[in-house]
Amino acid sequence: MLIKISDFHSFLYNLNESNNIEVVIPSLANGTENRFFFNKLNSSNNFDLGFFRTIDPSKVLFYQPRESVFPVSTGTIKRIIAGIKSCDMKSIQLLDKALINNDFVDSAYKNLRDSTYIITTDCTEIHSSCHCTLLDGKPFTESGFDLNLSPVEDYYLITIESDKGRELFELIKKKYGLLDAHESAYLEISKQRNKIIEKLVIQNEKFLPRNNDVLRSKDLSIWNEESKECIGCGACTNICPTCYCLILNDESVEKEFIKVRSYDSCQLHGYAKVAGGASPRPKMYERFRNRYLCKFDYMKKNFGEPGCVGCGRCTEACAAKIDFREVIQNISMNTLTTKQSI
Amino acid sequence: MHNAYEVIPGTIYNIIQESPLIRTLQIRPEIPIEFQTGQFVELSLPGIGEGPFTPSSSHYTSEVMDITIMKTGFVTEYIHKTSIGDIVGIRGPYGSKYPLEKFHNKDILILGGGCGLAPLRSLFLTLLHDIDQYNSITFLAGAKSPKDCIYKELFSEWKKYKKVNIYRSVDIVPEGESWDEEICLVTKLLQKIKIDPKENPVIVCGPPVMMKFGTMDLLKYGYNENNIYLSMEKKMYCGFGQCRHCVIGGYYACKDGPVFTYAQIKNEEAIWE
Ligand SMILES: Cc1cc2nc3c(=O)[nH]c(=O)nc-3n(C[C@H](O)[C@H](O)[C@H](O)COP(=O)(O)OP(=O)(O)OC[C@H]3O[C@@H](n4cnc5c(N)ncnc54)[C@H](O)[C@@H]3O)c2cc1C
Ligand code: SF4
Ligand code: SF4
Repeated sequence: MLIKISDFHSFLYNLNESNNIEVVIPSLANGTENRFFFNKLNSSNNFDLGFFRTIDPSKVLFYQPRESVFPVSTGTIKRIIAGIKSCDMKSIQLLDKALINNDFVDSAYKNLRDSTYIITTDCTEIHSSCHCTLLDGKPFTESGFDLNLSPVEDYYLITIESDKGRELFELIKKKYGLLDAHESAYLEISKQRNKIIEKLVIQNEKFLPRNNDVLRSKDLSIWNEESKECIGCGACTNICPTCYCLILNDESVEKEFIKVRSYDSCQLHGYAKVAGGASPRPKMYERFRNRYLCKFDYMKKNFGEPGCVGCGRCTEACAAKIDFREVIQNISMNTLTTKQSI
Repeated sequence: MHNAYEVIPGTIYNIIQESPLIRTLQIRPEIPIEFQTGQFVELSLPGIGEGPFTPSSSHYTSEVMDITIMKTGFVTEYIHKTSIGDIVGIRGPYGSKYPLEKFHNKDILILGGGCGLAPLRSLFLTLLHDIDQYNSITFLAGAKSPKDCIYKELFSEWKKYKKVNIYRSVDIVPEGESWDEEICLVTKLLQKIKIDPKENPVIVCGPPVMMKFGTMDLLKYGYNENNIYLSMEKKMYCGFGQCRHCVIGGYYACKDGPVFTYAQIKNEEAIWE
């Protein structure tokens, strides 16, 4: 079904005004043309559901930088998050595997997940760091969402993926006139999607597909070389939508057990240091390398898929301007040529 | 839905000062905590913090739990200031256990040093409970110096058991201290044993260097890497595979371990650090 874009926006505004629902959208940062941050919807923010991913990763909406995990605050209100992109959707599916599994459940995360409706939207532009296609990703979602919106002229084509999505759709249908989508709309959408894919392919043409065996190579000198500019600040892991390493602290209150988790970073020196001072990765290049191994080897073993979704945020956030794709490329090329010359 | 971070409060009903740096807390949890020997728990002090520790008592008792703790840093310093009657919190148990069924009818070797004796005490007490099922138990225990030896009374008592052999060593005997057992690195005690290494299991726990060189010596002695059980200590916060700090390659020390065979992890990086 198709809904007029302006109608969909007023649907969001109306929901937002009802008492027990909060709407979150990508809102344009002041003074920029295409830099968006997730924000609560209000009359003053300027939002657009198209473009590419936000600056901040969607994990901040479900897995907050600092929150109590025991006890967990109850009475979480319902939320609708609109404008999540395909790469972020994939990252949420990965976090689900990590934090809600058969053995253990992170209740704080689960509460926020359960109370949220996810509306994804097709990418209509790409950022210079975007490389989802190198990781078998696409600039539109195929699973995990509740509703997806694909723009066609002044309309959105609505795709329903879940019961929660159907619930939202019923609300929309009650209030707004919808049109049936004809074949031409689907054709137009697929044309637009292909155009974005093509842009991504051209932008990332020079990079090889990911190969974890190559990254695991034992030649450490090349990692030393690649990490030379790295200052070990941990910006890359904090901004990464799939990094969820945590520190657990006890809140300093008397006679009570309050467990608070906050983000940690494997790039920091103290990360894996145990009492007595031993650390498995005392050198910066070892920690630098660990992030790549974690994404392409360890997480793949843990979850059956790599821990990188190709959003490019780590590249964008890096103080030393290190491009994630280039590092992998250089390491791969080096290992391949070394192998060939043996 | 159970909150994975929820703690069960428990009361410290006794404290044994084992050595200047090591004490055993005897705790009575509000709800009995069942565990399998080899597994660990997270012990918290309210308002201070928590850490992973292995119960040192037999897994046949769940109403009370002993935890032996070395003073090494922030939280353990506070743990060493607790008194009888204080409330602590426990969550868990977590991780893998010693595969006791594989030890049936075997000559079991246990090799440990320092505070690494804590999980081994639990294992040993659990084995003693069913001693008929095992051929023999040989326990090699090391400490830095006589005053650092822990479980002093227990060892003299354990020596009385048939089928049990105990050898102890200290690295050094400073002036003014006395010692009538071996003076050497604990791994040297291997020279004393007469176990056929082919099919028999060995369980190792101790400081990283001891684990490393102990494992190498055991391989040289002829032990099979599939029968060498190591209790790996890595930094960990959650205890159940969410904080990722303890990752050893594709394994989590908390969830897939802490008990690993050497064969499982030998190809992973920096396992001893
Ligand atoms: C599975 C397992 C079982 C253990 N069993 C015992 C035991 O029975 N007895 C015993 O005395 N010690 C044991 N330890 C080590 C013990 O957990 C640490 O000595 C303790 O956490 C140090 O805390 P701290 O705050 O005093 O030290 P600090 O150096 O001040 O610690 C700072 C932070 O690092 C963490 N940390 C530091 N060292 C370690 C470490 N080695 N392992 C995990 N986290 C660490 C602490 O939790 C704390 O959050 C075990 C560790 C593991 C992983
Ligand atoms: S990485 Fe792909 S899915 Fe993510 S914003 Fe860029 S184009 Fe869209
Ligand atoms: S590693 Fe970089 S590109 Fe990959 S998901 Fe994380 S932030 Fe995005």
